[in-house]
Amino acid sequence: MTLLAPPIGTAPAAAGIAAAAVGVSKIYGHGDTAVHALDEIDASFQSGRFTAIMGPSGSGKSTLMHCLAGLDTVSHGSILVGDTDLSTLSERELTLLRRDRIGFVFQSFNLVPTLTAMENITLPMDLAGRTPDQAWVDEVINTVGLDDRTSHRPNELSGGQQQRVAVSRALASQPEIVFADEPTGNLDSTTGAEILEFMRRAVREMDQTIVMVTHDPNAASYADRVVFLNDGKIVDEMFEPTPDTILDTMKALGN
Amino acid sequence: MLRLTIKNLLDKKIRFALTTLAVVVGVAMVVGVFAMTDSLRSSFSQLAEDISEATPLTVRTSQEVGREIDRDPVPAAVDEVVRSIEGVEDTVPGVAAFNVVITDGAGEAILPTGPPTLGFSWTPLQFFITDGAVPAGSGEFAADSSTAADNDLQIGSTYVISGPIEQVEFELVGIFNFGAPDKHTTLGQTMAAFEIGVAQEFFGLEDRYSSIGVLLDPGTDTAEVQGRIQEAIGRDYEAVTDEVIEEETTDDINEVIDVFNIILLVFAFIIVFVSAFIINNTFQIVVAQRIRELGLLRAIGATGSQVRNSVIFEALLVGLFSTITGLVLGRFLAGGMRWMLNQGGFSLPTGPLELQPRTVVWAVVVGMGVTLLSSIIPARRARTISPIAAIQSDQQLAGASLRRRLVIGGVVTGIGFLLLLVGLFGSLDTSATLSLVGFGAFLVFIGMNTLAPSFARPAALLIGRPIARILGTPGQIARGNAARTPRRTASTAAALMIGLALVGMAGVVGSSLTKSFLNTLDDAVQSDYFIRSDSGGFDPSVGFSEEVAAEIEALPEFDTVVAYRFAIGSMRIEGSNHDVFTADFELVESHMDADIITGSLSDADAAFAIALHEDSAEDLGVVVGDTLDATFPDNGTDTLTVVAVYRDATIFGNWLIDNDTWERHFSRREIGFASATITGFSDDLPEAEQARLQAGAAEAIAPLGQQFPGVKMESRVEFRQSQQDQLNSFLIVITVLLGLSLVIALIGIANTLGLAIFERTREIGLIRAVGMTRWQLALTIFGEAVIVAIFGAILGLSLGVVFGVAVVIAIPDSVINAISVPYLTLLVYLVIAGFAGMLAALLPAFRAGRLNILDAISHE
Repeated sequence: MTLLAPPIGTAPAAAGIAAAAVGVSKIYGHGDTAVHALDEIDASFQSGRFTAIMGPSGSGKSTLMHCLAGLDTVSHGSILVGDTDLSTLSERELTLLRRDRIGFVFQSFNLVPTLTAMENITLPMDLAGRTPDQAWVDEVINTVGLDDRTSHRPNELSGGQQQRVAVSRALASQPEIVFADEPTGNLDSTTGAEILEFMRRAVREMDQTIVMVTHDPNAASYADRVVFLNDGKIVDEMFEPTPDTILDTMKALGN
Repeated sequence: MLRLTIKNLLDKKIRFALTTLAVVVGVAMVVGVFAMTDSLRSSFSQLAEDISEATPLTVRTSQEVGREIDRDPVPAAVDEVVRSIEGVEDTVPGVAAFNVVITDGAGEAILPTGPPTLGFSWTPLQFFITDGAVPAGSGEFAADSSTAADNDLQIGSTYVISGPIEQVEFELVGIFNFGAPDKHTTLGQTMAAFEIGVAQEFFGLEDRYSSIGVLLDPGTDTAEVQGRIQEAIGRDYEAVTDEVIEEETTDDINEVIDVFNIILLVFAFIIVFVSAFIINNTFQIVVAQRIRELGLLRAIGATGSQVRNSVIFEALLVGLFSTITGLVLGRFLAGGMRWMLNQGGFSLPTGPLELQPRTVVWAVVVGMGVTLLSSIIPARRARTISPIAAIQSDQQLAGASLRRRLVIGGVVTGIGFLLLLVGLFGSLDTSATLSLVGFGAFLVFIGMNTLAPSFARPAALLIGRPIARILGTPGQIARGNAARTPRRTASTAAALMIGLALVGMAGVVGSSLTKSFLNTLDDAVQSDYFIRSDSGGFDPSVGFSEEVAAEIEALPEFDTVVAYRFAIGSMRIEGSNHDVFTADFELVESHMDADIITGSLSDADAAFAIALHEDSAEDLGVVVGDTLDATFPDNGTDTLTVVAVYRDATIFGNWLIDNDTWERHFSRREIGFASATITGFSDDLPEAEQARLQAGAAEAIAPLGQQFPGVKMESRVEFRQSQQDQLNSFLIVITVLLGLSLVIALIGIANTLGLAIFERTREIGLIRAVGMTRWQLALTIFGEAVIVAIFGAILGLSLGVVFGVAVVIAIPDSVINAISVPYLTLLVYLVIAGFAGMLAALLPAFRAGRLNILDAISHE
């Protein structure tokens, strides 16, 4: 993995790399009006870690996540999920990659309204025609505390419960990596804390890999590592963060 | 507000286009039908004027009973009388006949489907030679230019022509235009012209004329001469002016055009009705989708009425655009229809297509009216949107409650069925029956549309179950999508329901008609061979020469032949005119069994006998042995003895007389239909013997088939098949026309799906993000379309069966006496509807597949 030479993003522990961005730029428009959403970014995300991507609005954090997750294409550079270079994949291959190897949690509107909670959780596997590992699914559901609500439809669930279903879906197929985009952005702080706590447990106890985009220092503090983005560049990173240290860094960025 | 509405429309071009398309097609149909029939009307009335103007007066037999086709000819002596009258310069006597069939060079009879085959005596007033010479002697004839051109008839060649009495060879000496020297106008009929003496002999009208044209001395007063002629010829004959002839001719032609016009208009209005459903549905959905935006308008100060008006204004724009486009397209459509008819054997005049003010008014009424009416309910809903809708995300429009829906829908459906039944079974005249049935069906459709949402959810879930099983997760999501908006699913399905109800009804009626026919053939018909004109149809003007029956009878393989004739309204008994059938009484009982209750046909003095159906006997209060005075088209009256009363009206209708009686009173000689029995044949014979006799008969009759190319001679098996085929092809034509409304319903499905997809953009984004492939997404949309289509098809076909059975019961037993529901055909329609649904989903599926996932997820 000599490709991943840059210092930032290199883990202290020599764990496997779940996903990486190598020299990634994302440019909208061209010529004088070109906007560099991502500017020559190199970053890697280790397996079994909970990483937060932070940055102010317009810093490019969501774009980075979208590129990492195969939802968006890069202008330059390459994205690796495991050993797969996403730039070599067709639209269909990208779809299958998302389905089989990646999990998603969005800020809101995570669930298909016509499907029950359980059907939503197993949706990617159902789409793939795979039989879910029932023991694992049960364990996930059990851990998020959804046991008695799996046959409910999304409109019968509270916002927090809906996000738990979303997280369960992301984890149910045991993906190589889970991307979460402001997963607690629409929740009150107590409910948000529960979701974040569960995500941390999924990483620590169930050996999952999560990359979360957030602008909330409190949310980011649940992560093992925080990567800071500003103006499309990675400007800092932090291990074992606390809300205070994150806030300090953010303030420094603001200046 | 106004500018906002326009911007809104421009913003959603595809939706606008699809919504308009539905109205445009309806308007264009209406305009096209009117424009075409109007131009036909004016061309033919011009032709009628040109022709009748040639002779200021016409002398003919007065007629009180029967149709023009059965008007009695004028004795030649009358011509002598007219000729001698002061002021008459000259007379132009003429004869005309139906069923004068030319055989082409390849030995095929030239038989247009529908239009007649006519024979005339040559008249320089109407026929204009374009090539060759006027037919002057025996063995010569001239043909009209389009018949000659279409069938490659060559001047100098000899052709066999079948007349009412016999078949004769003639040499083609000339080709002529009808109506004008440089322009031939025809509705597709074939015309053969002969020297008058030749024509009289050939048509069996020796010493008689069909009518006598009168030319006046210059400067004489027409009315004066008319009076003198009338006085001289007496009341049995009449002298009429060219205006009367022109009017009669125009009326005759208009009668044909009117039928045509009404049939096409019915189809046009079905299409308009279906489009109304679609527009209504589209506006409903659009208002529901714009609920936040409309709420915002309310929040910033728009009044409820302004919001309502903006919806109505949008409808107005759609209506205006559709009307104008429909008018333009309709003119093209009229040209297209005319072209198609000309391809199909007609030679319609290609005059300018007229857009009469009436047509434009209809276009506006249909285009604007339908659109505005469809927008009333959505607009009223829009008015009730509260400003708070702008902030609340899950605002739902208040629709009618389920209970109200059930009550209103149930009542409307009930009234509809009631009107339908009153129309079908009440003894009303035709136009009242048709309007009641039409309005009843209309109410049933509206009522069902109101009811359908209350059971659309369970129905969608039920229909979706096998689809979910087959398609897996995409099918399951499709099933959920179809079930989650029952109102929308129901009204989209309702548009499809209408077309399929009509198709289903036609299927039931057609199948019952076929079954009735086969029942009659199997149970009541004993003869072994059936002889008919190849031009199809049971038109009284269709027939073949008497010679055919005589030739078959002369064959030793055949025992007896019975000839049948038919005339409409040609027998007056106690003041009313009746359709009349003829047969040979002496023989017919061994050919056809009309289920005679009392009396007998064969024992009677046939020449002055009548047999009638039990209903007619009861109406007149007569029994076997009583007498009835019957008046015929020649104004002659016979006292006929009732010799039999029968129960089955499917064969002879209600009134049957002998051919001898016919020949005394009708100048028409040709036979409409004949049946023959095979010598020695009986159902009791061993099968091998039966087969031997049948084979012998087939072999013996084959040369006659060659000799008379325009006549079909079919064994029982062949006849059965050909009649079934004929009914089937008729049914296919009706089904295809009704199927047009399905195309509009498909636009509705496409439209609704398109709107639903727009509404579910985020959901689609999510589902694609977590790994649904484009193909799976397409399957989801196909699945939903199929569920909606099948739901509509089941509703429609069920209604169609109910309608069809009601119609079959209402049609007199003389036409249909059996009920048959063609389950297999209905099943095929169901499958077709499913596939059609998928077709409608193609564009929405394609568009959904192209949605950018990221944009979709962040879509508001």
